[in-house]
Amino acid sequence: MAILEVQNIEKHFGATKVLEDISFGLEQGQALAIIGSSGSGKTTLLRCLNFLEKPDHGRILVRGKTLFDADDPATQRESEVRKKRLHFGMVFQSFNLFPQYTALKNVTLAKELLAKEQPGFKSRKKEILAEIEGEGKELLAKMGLSDRAGHYPHQLSGGQQQRVAIARALALHPDILCFDEPTSALDPELTGEVLKVIRSLAEQKTTMIIVTHEMAFARDVADQVIFMDGGLIVEQGDAHQVIEHPQQERTRQFLSRYAD
Amino acid sequence: MFFMSAEFQTVVSALNEGFVKTVQLFLVTLTGALPLGLVISFGSMNRWAPLARPVHWLLRRKAPAGRRPGKLAGALTAFRPIRLICRLLVWIIRGTPLVLQILIIYYVPPLMKVFNWGGGEGGRFTAVAVAFILNYSFYFSEIYRGGIQGVPVGQQEAGQVLGMTKSQIFFQVTLLQMIKRIVPPMSNEIITLVKDTSLARVIALQEVIWMGESFMKGNRGYAGLIWPLFFTAVYYLAFSGIVTILLNRLEKKLSFFR
Amino acid sequence: MKKTLSLALALTLALSLTACGGGESSSAPAGGSSQPDASASTPADASASSAGNEAEAVDDVAAVTEKGTLVVGITNFEPMDYQDADGTWIGFDADMAKLFAEYLGVTAEFVEINWDYKVMELEAGNIDAVWNGMTLNDEVRAAMATSVPYCLNAQVLVVPADKAADFEGLTSLEGLNVAVESGSVGEDAAIALGGSTVPVPKQADTLLEVSAGTSDAAVIDLLMAGAMIGEGTSYENLTYVLNLNELQGQDSEEYGVGFRPDSNLVDEFNAFWAEKVADGTVLEVATTYGLQESVILE
Repeated sequence: MAILEVQNIEKHFGATKVLEDISFGLEQGQALAIIGSSGSGKTTLLRCLNFLEKPDHGRILVRGKTLFDADDPATQRESEVRKKRLHFGMVFQSFNLFPQYTALKNVTLAKELLAKEQPGFKSRKKEILAEIEGEGKELLAKMGLSDRAGHYPHQLSGGQQQRVAIARALALHPDILCFDEPTSALDPELTGEVLKVIRSLAEQKTTMIIVTHEMAFARDVADQVIFMDGGLIVEQGDAHQVIEHPQQERTRQFLSRYAD
Repeated sequence: MFFMSAEFQTVVSALNEGFVKTVQLFLVTLTGALPLGLVISFGSMNRWAPLARPVHWLLRRKAPAGRRPGKLAGALTAFRPIRLICRLLVWIIRGTPLVLQILIIYYVPPLMKVFNWGGGEGGRFTAVAVAFILNYSFYFSEIYRGGIQGVPVGQQEAGQVLGMTKSQIFFQVTLLQMIKRIVPPMSNEIITLVKDTSLARVIALQEVIWMGESFMKGNRGYAGLIWPLFFTAVYYLAFSGIVTILLNRLEKKLSFFR
Repeated sequence: MKKTLSLALALTLALSLTACGGGESSSAPAGGSSQPDASASTPADASASSAGNEAEAVDDVAAVTEKGTLVVGITNFEPMDYQDADGTWIGFDADMAKLFAEYLGVTAEFVEINWDYKVMELEAGNIDAVWNGMTLNDEVRAAMATSVPYCLNAQVLVVPADKAADFEGLTSLEGLNVAVESGSVGEDAAIALGGSTVPVPKQADTLLEVSAGTSDAAVIDLLMAGAMIGEGTSYENLTYVLNLNELQGQDSEEYGVGFRPDSNLVDEFNAFWAEKVADGTVLEVATTYGLQESVILE
């Protein structure tokens, strides 16, 4: 069974149609790259999955369970939306780290808050917090940031900040990790370190959706590619197939701009 | 030595009494206005639009498909009563002088036979404190609003996708960033408050300037003294100096992040 | 009509202020009820509002007796109302007010007020009497119920002592910058005599003007001048030279006590005063404060 199923998603901003009849599926352990020019709706699609935008039509299913149905208000309750978000992790283009917390605290904060809501927290407080902190340090080590755990975001380079943001998203063990143009805000010499981390996540079979402008990276790392234009899915399929042998004229035109 | 004279001792002890009132008014105002300002700032950012749902429902049922909503529908959808009331009050309070607000709050209710604050110092202090708390909370609310809206929306979204509740996002993520942003403008307001306390003497609250002036006409056996009035400047300078140091310290404390 | 309108306007603003305060901090009603002794919601005060329009007696005597205090509105004004070294209110007016309270079987409470708002203080019920060397002019008589006059006063010209000779024998104030208390009887006199006036908030401020040389002269009450300038004050360099009432060929001014319009405290006061004049108390107290020449003993 597909881990994620997106069915007929549609989204308007006022009179402008931003997403139209978007449907796709994603298997456990697969990486999906979404490509397309700016304004094609890629980011909005990602934001819909994370409940940052509410689609006007369509359904979103995770492991066969309906998380969102535009026709069923019961699936849109604020109290439940919060927990449903945890199926997805999100890495933003502009990192959005919390500036007043250290790298480690950025990674552990949300988990600590969730733990505090558990009934048995008070009696095992020290134990649980130590566990969360250990896990956070481990994640930072995986990102090659062991020596930066105590640094504040403004003391880190862009690439380091984005790696902290990835660790922060991973800390809650999401089913699907979403990247919204993770390297677009970085200087070219810093993109490599972030792409390397994402690549290694793909190798470990992390289920991912990556909105990106890095075509070579999409081809090499992703299993599936979706090309979007004007709010529509123009072409989708195997990553190598779509990027090296696009079937649609619009896809070809778009890719030719990234030829070099 | 003048500083040892009975005149100096008497005047200073009277000024001290007045200064205690000044400081009390300052502290009571801050204690009331700092939290109340936050409540008002939430009010003036409130998005509750009771007509939005019915209008949308009507449009969906009755309007021909594809027709764009008209101006009236737009206005009704954008009707946010709580925000409207709060912003109206902000306009009223910021648009009228504090002196006038003190006079109105103290004199109008008893003149209209609604209630009386009491003619003694206690009643006068209560009325002045209410006027100051109201006035300053509305000023503070606008500073808070600027501070909250100045925190990038990405911070809130980052909290949301991490499964935080609205209040967790506010207290764990937004609040400290907002405080850092508002410390400089708040410092200005708070220093102004130190000096504004002197307006309380319009309804005869015996703060430090009132005491200083009292020696012109005569007080505690001394009459026709000019210097006590000017000497009150020493109190204000010392007070605002201490407040400035404390606020600078807070600003420094918050400089660990950007 | 204008008064009603502006009061209604002010109330609207006040309600919006207090409604908000009440809704979010609920401090407004708490403040009001914490002062029950001075509350205006006593029946006697409540009826005072209608008394302005219909000439119906206001039973302030009962109200004062009930709360046990006579609240006297004053400003710090030597030799009428001022504090001794211990902070006790003394002075000719203060001492007589204590005796009047005793006469009514209550105690006197002195409250310092802003002189500009004396009528409002009275009507709001914050005070029961204005008793502070108040000159009985048309405005005062229109806004309050006033007692028999009890003391004489005049307006005098205050000048630097070293220039006093220049002012002797003047018949007009033309060409002079004269500091006056805004809205005072002294201001009227200065204008009538052709001076160009410098209005300041308080009589005491006018002395500051002359002392600093920013005005040539000041017009203040004779009684105040007697206490505030000369030896032992900050104004040793000032003196007073002319009685402006005499200069204008007018009678002296008279001091009186003000009560709420149609208050029955007026009759009570007049009876009290006649009694104290007759038994010599008034003269005795007046002599203590050097007012034996000014006090009215008829």
